[in-house]
Amino acid sequence: MGREVGIVGVGQTHHARRRTDVSQAGLVREAVDRALADANLSMEDIDTIVIATGPVLFAAVNQPEKWVVDAIGAQGKSVVRLTSGGGAGFAGALAGYYQVAGGYSERTLVVAYDKLSEGQLQYSISTLYDPFWGREFAVGIMGFSAAYWRARMDVLGHTEEAAAMVAAKNRNNAIKNPYAHQKKQVTVEDVLNSKALCWPIKLLDVPPISDGAAAIVLASDKVAHHSTTRPAWIRGMAYCCEADNAPERSLMLSEPLAIASRQVYRAAGITNPRRQFDVVEVQEPYSCFELNYYESLGLCPPGQAAELIASGATQVDGDIPVNPSGGCMGANPIGAVGVIRLIEAATQVMGRNETHQIKDAKTALVQSGGGWANLRGCAVLSA
Amino acid sequence: MFYAPDTAPIDLPTFKSTISLPYTLTPGKAAGTFLAEMPNRRIVASRFADGSVIAPAQDFSPKDGEEPVELVQAPETGELTGFTRVDGVVLGLVKLDGCRNAFVHRILADMADVKVGQRVAAQWSASDEGTSILAIEGFVIAADAPVGEVKPLVGPAEPLGVINYGMALHYDHAYGPYYGRMFDELKENGVVMGVRGSNADEALLPPREIDDITHKRTGTWKACADTGTIRACSLINMEVYGQTRPVPYAYAEIVLDGASTKMIHIIEIDDLEVAKQQIKPGTRVRAVWTKGERKGAVSDIERFEVIEG
Amino acid sequence: MGFSQVAVLASAQTELRPAWRDAQHIDLISSVVTNVFKGTGLSIDDVDFVIDSGSDVLDGRSISNCGFLGALGAHHKEEARVEEDGLWGALYGVNKIRSRSSSIGLIVAYSKPSESNIDLYWSAMVEPFYQRPVGFGQKAALGIQAQRYLAAHGIKDDALAEIVARRWADAAVGGKVAMGEAPDAAAVLAGTEAAWPLTDLMISRPLDGAVAVLIGSEDVARRTGRPPVFITGMGTSMETHALAERTANKLDSVANATRMALGKAGWSSGAEADVVELSGSSVVGELMALEGMGIAAEGHGADVATSDKVNRSGGALPADPIMATGLIRLAEAAKKLSAPVAAGASAPSKAIVHGTGGVAMQTNCVFTLEV
Repeated sequence: MGREVGIVGVGQTHHARRRTDVSQAGLVREAVDRALADANLSMEDIDTIVIATGPVLFAAVNQPEKWVVDAIGAQGKSVVRLTSGGGAGFAGALAGYYQVAGGYSERTLVVAYDKLSEGQLQYSISTLYDPFWGREFAVGIMGFSAAYWRARMDVLGHTEEAAAMVAAKNRNNAIKNPYAHQKKQVTVEDVLNSKALCWPIKLLDVPPISDGAAAIVLASDKVAHHSTTRPAWIRGMAYCCEADNAPERSLMLSEPLAIASRQVYRAAGITNPRRQFDVVEVQEPYSCFELNYYESLGLCPPGQAAELIASGATQVDGDIPVNPSGGCMGANPIGAVGVIRLIEAATQVMGRNETHQIKDAKTALVQSGGGWANLRGCAVLSA
Repeated sequence: MFYAPDTAPIDLPTFKSTISLPYTLTPGKAAGTFLAEMPNRRIVASRFADGSVIAPAQDFSPKDGEEPVELVQAPETGELTGFTRVDGVVLGLVKLDGCRNAFVHRILADMADVKVGQRVAAQWSASDEGTSILAIEGFVIAADAPVGEVKPLVGPAEPLGVINYGMALHYDHAYGPYYGRMFDELKENGVVMGVRGSNADEALLPPREIDDITHKRTGTWKACADTGTIRACSLINMEVYGQTRPVPYAYAEIVLDGASTKMIHIIEIDDLEVAKQQIKPGTRVRAVWTKGERKGAVSDIERFEVIEG
Repeated sequence: MGFSQVAVLASAQTELRPAWRDAQHIDLISSVVTNVFKGTGLSIDDVDFVIDSGSDVLDGRSISNCGFLGALGAHHKEEARVEEDGLWGALYGVNKIRSRSSSIGLIVAYSKPSESNIDLYWSAMVEPFYQRPVGFGQKAALGIQAQRYLAAHGIKDDALAEIVARRWADAAVGGKVAMGEAPDAAAVLAGTEAAWPLTDLMISRPLDGAVAVLIGSEDVARRTGRPPVFITGMGTSMETHALAERTANKLDSVANATRMALGKAGWSSGAEADVVELSGSSVVGELMALEGMGIAAEGHGADVATSDKVNRSGGALPADPIMATGLIRLAEAAKKLSAPVAAGASAPSKAIVHGTGGVAMQTNCVFTLEV
């Protein structure tokens, strides 16, 4: 690696189902102001900016960074936008990471957002599908996600009950999250009894639709100390893909995530993830995905995710808490989620998480992804 | 030297596709107030700490992102600082009196009369009473218009929380040689054809020149059966914008016999609980072809149905 | 351990056509990805990562990269989508290799504007409350920009027409652009009005096409047998969205991007370049870019525009495969630096490359290349 890169400031909006008091651009400004203040910096101190959003169709503005640049006072700076569907925020952070690691900048601001109340979420996502081949049958990403869960259900034992445990855990964790907007105590039975939307996905397996933005300031080891005495250092970070319609695609383990984690774990010196990580933050657009990540990230062997969630190990008080923030179940401004997960993990290792600080957390794992579950990445952060 | 795909002209027209959807966009406080004041025939601007005024109102300075201290009312007169004509419509940059900036709007004049420095005045639309910037129809030449002043905005309207917006994008997608052949075969012969993978006998659907996995040339054409096996499926029980079928139904990714990759289609269901037992990965299905003349599209197959037994 | 140097190893492009009616996006993409390796001794298996540039709005599908991963050769590799000209994709890739996390990257950019309505692509890019309803878009912005520039510097449209004609003539020689007879200056002036004072030939011509550029670490580059073309500086800068708020008759963002790139390369001026490849959205945009890069004094872009070192590929005016145009400039400049010259002739050793994006060139990117 060229040099060490740390997260030295974080900021996110108070996410909401619909914000009618700010424009998309104004929403971004809120997160940027908070991240800069947190890093003890002003926009003048920032060398470069990465903006990330979900697909353009979410909000009817093509290349929205060209508009947003004015709202964040970044005129004249190096500004570029990354997009990668649900993983956009994470992909943007990775681009920012390399700007610092590669010596292009000393401090890079990464801001990611989506204002999903403005468009037609599932229809927009249906346009992922080939217009010639299958788009007319697409049901956003939910029909697809449910189908892949169904494929894993019998083979790997990712039962409705196991996913319901994930949903209940994350929903209940979100209650204490000051930035979440869906905060309601639910039981596993509530989830199981909720309405089938795209069975096996049921209403309470599904995160809310949200307006929100999130920003982080990345700094080189040379300047990080100006902002904080305890940065969250990025020890490894990768984002991999697989061709969607590949004969070899098993639908079982997420191969791109397994490939990314192998690369990241090697860089970070992780040999036993279950033992070495103090806390994990994952992007679970539907509850079933979290089970898949347990296995793909090596937190448990394939086929044992249901046992892992049932054991209580991934609860806030377990030995490997997953999504103490509540994950996507508390708020899901899609393009921003990758950065939100980074923020929640970074503040854990910085010792100042606002929802559920895990005691003495030193090493955290972050997962994010998008597309047809074929874009997947992870990062390791430590104090 | 340049490179070209292995291709030949296709005698198919383009594939028409439209992406059209409604939006509810939030303008934010400044633009929301500006738009809300359009029916009142007032032009809202933003005043910044240094006294400078920007019209139309912005929540953030286009110079440096600074937030304004208050909203004010801009005059309806100003001068032209630049212009062009596109499709017969003159568009110009208008700097309202007392404002620091210029903004783009329609100029209701012949090009011959338009010049930089020209005095102009807003012309309110006779027909548009709504909350669009087009309530100002445009700016007319007003050589003798007195210089207007920025005034306090007395009793501003509540900012609009959302405005309705529609976006429709139209496409003419090329078939290319591989999709061209596939859909031609579908139309003429009612056969789903793919090409063999670079190192496999099974066909890739949809077909393509280069294998996704090996990035090597794909093999020869192969007809697939209209029967297959469900690889993944879900039972759709919710209504979403743009849906073409009544719920409930099954969304299925089906591997046709002879193919290795999926075809996405639907299976009709009567009862959710029965379907949970009947439609699952591994279930055998067959295509139900659409009656009447085939169009050369996936919709030539109306749906799939479970092969009993 | 310091940063790695990064070199351009190879490039491949399709012919640029008004409409590739007999090929899909994936056909164009896989064609350049397959062919970029020829003669390099490398294969897709050697590639660590793929960065691609394309537009969901032009492609007519969301997260369009997601459907093109196989054609991109990205399966099971790291992949990223930069929704901006491919030159920004290259900027990402160079940083990744400089950090020593990877050694070989594939940068791909493509578009098929023939499949959509290009005016909608541009109008969707402007702010939806004030600008979009009045009919503002790329053409209007370029027209206003040109009107002001010509008035400020007393330049006449026949001077512009000469430059446009030269670009088409050069593109015809290059043979990569599908065209009928190249228009002469009179034909440029006689063209239909796109946005007064610009005729349609004075605005860049959207075409379908794809380009792939292979970049690698110094270590890899030294082993490929040809003198490496190193990327020695990069910079990018985005201006305000509000056209009228940008400095009149200048592209400050080009100057900013150039300053960043030159600072890293250690050059004192863009004029040091022997080869200049730039992407003007209009002929006036080209002049302003030349001035921003320090190759011409303010208002004097036209004096150098037809010099033998500027845009000998023809540039963006005859051929603008949106999203790929700037990356093609990089490919063209790298080829000029690595091509053998006749004995005794002086070989070019430095190039400056420019890419642009946004309405009226709101954002700009500059690379310096050296052998």
